[in-house]
Amino acid sequence: MLRFTPVSFVSTLSAGVLHSDRTSSFRVGDMLHPQGNSPRSSRSVAIVGAGIVGMSAAHFLSRAGWQVTVYDAGVVASGATGSADGAVSVASKKPGPLMTLAVAAVKFYEQLIAEGVLVDEYLPRSTFVVASDDEELSVLERHAGELEAASVPIRMLRGTALTEVIGAAAPTAIAAAEVQREGHAVGYRVVERLRRLGGFAIRRNCRVSGFTSSNGHITGVITECGTEQADAVLLATGIGSMHFLAESDLIRPRKGQLIVTDRAGADSPHFPGPLMSCRYLVSKGSQPANSAAASRSLGLVIDPLRTGQFLIGGSREDRDDRETADGDIVAALLRDAVALSPSLARLRVIRVFSGLRAATRDGMPIVGRVGGADNLWIATGFEGDGICLGPLMGRLCQQMICGEPPDQDISALDATRFRLTLAAAA
Amino acid sequence: MSGPQALVIGGGPAGVSAAVALARAGIDVTLCEQGPRLGGAIHRQPDDQTQSVRVPRAHKQRWQALSDELAASTVKVLCRHMFAGIEATGAVLLEDRNTGRLVTRRPAALVLAMGAIERVAPVPGWHLPGVVSAGGLQVMMKSTGRAPSGAVLIAGSGPLLVALAAQMASLGNAPVAVLERSPRLMSLRVIASLLRTPAYLREAAGYVGTLVRAGCLPQRGAFVTAIVPKDGRLSVSVRDRGGRERQLLVDRVALHDGLLPNSNGTAAHPNGPFLVRAGDCREVLGGAAALADGRLAAQAVLAHLGKRGSDSTGAELAMARERQAQAALNTLFDYSGRDPTELPDDTIICRCEGRTLGQLRAMLDSRDPVSAREIKLNGRFGMGACQGRFCAEWVAAFVASQHADGSPPQSSEIVGSRWPVKPVPISAFVTLPPSHPSE
Ligand SMILES: Cc1cc2nc3c(=O)[nH]c(=O)nc-3n(C[C@H](O)[C@H](O)[C@H](O)COP(=O)(O)OP(=O)(O)OC[C@H]3O[C@@H](n4cnc5c(N)ncnc54)[C@H](O)[C@@H]3O)c2cc1C
Ligand SMILES: Cc1cc2nc3c(=O)[nH]c(=O)nc-3n(C[C@H](O)[C@H](O)[C@H](O)COP(=O)(O)OP(=O)(O)OC[C@H]3O[C@@H](n4cnc5c(N)ncnc54)[C@H](O)[C@@H]3O)c2cc1C
Repeated sequence: MLRFTPVSFVSTLSAGVLHSDRTSSFRVGDMLHPQGNSPRSSRSVAIVGAGIVGMSAAHFLSRAGWQVTVYDAGVVASGATGSADGAVSVASKKPGPLMTLAVAAVKFYEQLIAEGVLVDEYLPRSTFVVASDDEELSVLERHAGELEAASVPIRMLRGTALTEVIGAAAPTAIAAAEVQREGHAVGYRVVERLRRLGGFAIRRNCRVSGFTSSNGHITGVITECGTEQADAVLLATGIGSMHFLAESDLIRPRKGQLIVTDRAGADSPHFPGPLMSCRYLVSKGSQPANSAAASRSLGLVIDPLRTGQFLIGGSREDRDDRETADGDIVAALLRDAVALSPSLARLRVIRVFSGLRAATRDGMPIVGRVGGADNLWIATGFEGDGICLGPLMGRLCQQMICGEPPDQDISALDATRFRLTLAAAA
Repeated sequence: MSGPQALVIGGGPAGVSAAVALARAGIDVTLCEQGPRLGGAIHRQPDDQTQSVRVPRAHKQRWQALSDELAASTVKVLCRHMFAGIEATGAVLLEDRNTGRLVTRRPAALVLAMGAIERVAPVPGWHLPGVVSAGGLQVMMKSTGRAPSGAVLIAGSGPLLVALAAQMASLGNAPVAVLERSPRLMSLRVIASLLRTPAYLREAAGYVGTLVRAGCLPQRGAFVTAIVPKDGRLSVSVRDRGGRERQLLVDRVALHDGLLPNSNGTAAHPNGPFLVRAGDCREVLGGAAALADGRLAAQAVLAHLGKRGSDSTGAELAMARERQAQAALNTLFDYSGRDPTELPDDTIICRCEGRTLGQLRAMLDSRDPVSAREIKLNGRFGMGACQGRFCAEWVAAFVASQHADGSPPQSSEIVGSRWPVKPVPISAFVTLPPSHPSE
């Protein structure tokens, strides 16, 4: 059963000082009333988007003394953050900067737990990348090599080790890579935790349509509920980002459908962690496919939830209808799932849902300044990795906006690679 | 993936009546019922055909006539076929429980006649084993043909309480008590309103007669305040009309607080068939209305298909009569349940996920208004196997009572609207033939 954790400030207080980095050091007293107690600054920032990226940025900016207002067209977590699985995972990342950032993002989750910011919103665990035939095995070996090269701790499982660890869950697997030291976080729970910690205002059902500006400097945001002043603006608008940008077609919706089962009985085989089929890597584009990219692909992940239920996903489709689920896709995913883990056939599907990922043209997120204004930042395009990267990105956005050097090298994500400029409409 | 011209879901009076009327007009109809036999909530019959549960004569005669007509018609009947929803491309998903397969159909029209769902208002201990809904107990009784054993307490509000009590008494085990929350008694005004539908008065008189003989007339104005386990049985705290508390030790408690349309997952789909709802699934008006409403649904389908049906004036008059009778009857009952302010924090609200009232209160204890999405995602209400069918309405009403300002979330936003409308085995899903040749 999912445990509901009413926020207890008592436990946060006992954690003592929450942050003690060189630029922003403050105590829990500040945390409860950061605006009132902060003598440093009354600069205001408008954050557009209450997903995991916007809410994380809001948390860190308010702790850095900014007066923060988050605007969302819907409610908190109404975008991808509320319709995702929560793999905080390096296992599936494309080798290169994204894999490096994912390693840092996992460490950042661990740090936030240690500091008492995220209490039990992060569950450390291994991911098992599974090969079921020779073709998949070659993908697995290539990917495992790349993970090792990035110093990700992995263990190759074959023979008896394989049988002992995942044999009960996946009897047809011929090999697996256990990717250690990663975990799981539920996006909307992280966001809810940050909301409860407070320190910033949230305007719900308040779509931002554009900005007021003078001489290349934004002075405020124009919203459904009126115009409000701001000294800086961060767009954390996920798939909604295109509205603000002059380039069309830079960010596209990639739909994902996920399946939720009922609870497995006590006699069910043990799943040591999520099982990811090698096909998932190909579907995600982390490893090259043998054929041309399809407008729709399926990559199997069987994720055992804390509740005893399973989340089975997911599809990647170039579509933007968020409300629907296809019998066909669900059945195909479940066929793959049962082929890998026959015991799942005993469970029932209780729900199917879908969400839209924000995919950029080159598959990399966009984080940085937008041309046309000197105080406008953007953090979007996290596609299928935003739950993993979200908190770290929130921190890096805070550092950028504060004019501090970011803890991580994010030059590969820089918005200038697309020469982003503000849309005329905004 | 072809299909019949019309697919009717639900083998109760509304569904059978719609199917027969469509077949009569020359339409190719398939009727699906999830259970092993037709009959619906009133005419369900025991697995052992030698047993039977008493059904008022007028109902029985109408059902018999309809069953005869069905038998003589071209309607194709599929029992043990559950409607699982309409998927993205508009196909209707059916779980064939005989073969364990999921199949799709693409009818031109779909009639949903899935009946009502039972409301049970939360009370401490209502999730304990041995506590059931009155309808659930009735189903059990109708499928075994025997009264439940042991000491049974029936409580809540609505005409079903006396019907169930009388059926139990006739089968030889009258309940130890029947508690009707509403203090109101049958009045001359209500009797006057029911004169156009004398069957109700006759039915009520029959039940009361049985209960007088069994010595268990309903105690009006009395209700359950808590249920706790005791020595393998259930100890029930009961408050009577005068505010006095007492304890009853029983084996089973049957609770019931009215009926609601079983409407989740019944919205029309842009790519799907023309869709009509009928019977209790559309508006809870009982068996006689369900028959008439099935005919009206058939008329709507015929009009959509460009065919002429028969005259529907009779059905419309019957609906108006039944609507008036039900409105009069409903003035006698009180479906509000226990006052939430008197419920302790550990009262379970969502039985699927074990979510409590305290957890719901904690969610509302915030400066930010709470949305349906947060009630679901963070509160987990409406996220269990029933998709909120049994708690969404109560949760929405509670949230509205706490937040006088703003626009509180509606029950329809909390209850799941996506397929599957009920859990479907994965083993059935994997049999669905792929419509795209290669992935
Ligand atoms: C099916 C699926 C599975 C996934 N699984 C994983 C996973 O396992 N691991 C992982 O790391 N990631 C996963 N992801 C990806 C992850 O969910 C996203 O990358 C992440 O949530 C993005 O967060 P965000 O804050 O950038 O955007 P969002 O959560 O989409 O938030 C954007 C917000 O901006 C608001 N908004 C947009 N325009 C405006 C406007 N004009 N005015 C005001 N508000 C506006 C929206 O309402 C929305 O709330 C998955 C995604 C999907 C769809
Ligand atoms: C528990 C209960 C007891 C009642 N007892 C009485 C009584 O004693 N006397 C009386 O006059 N009235 C009684 N009623 C009122 C009763 O609802 C109406 O009299 C009448 O049965 C309504 O007819 P209907 O066809 O609309 O629905 P129902 O008779 O309820 O028929 C609906 C049918 O749809 C089927 N169904 C539901 N979901 C699906 C699905 N997803 N797929 C396939 N099939 C499905 C059900 O199994 C059922 O057979 C009772 C109602 C309930 C709920």
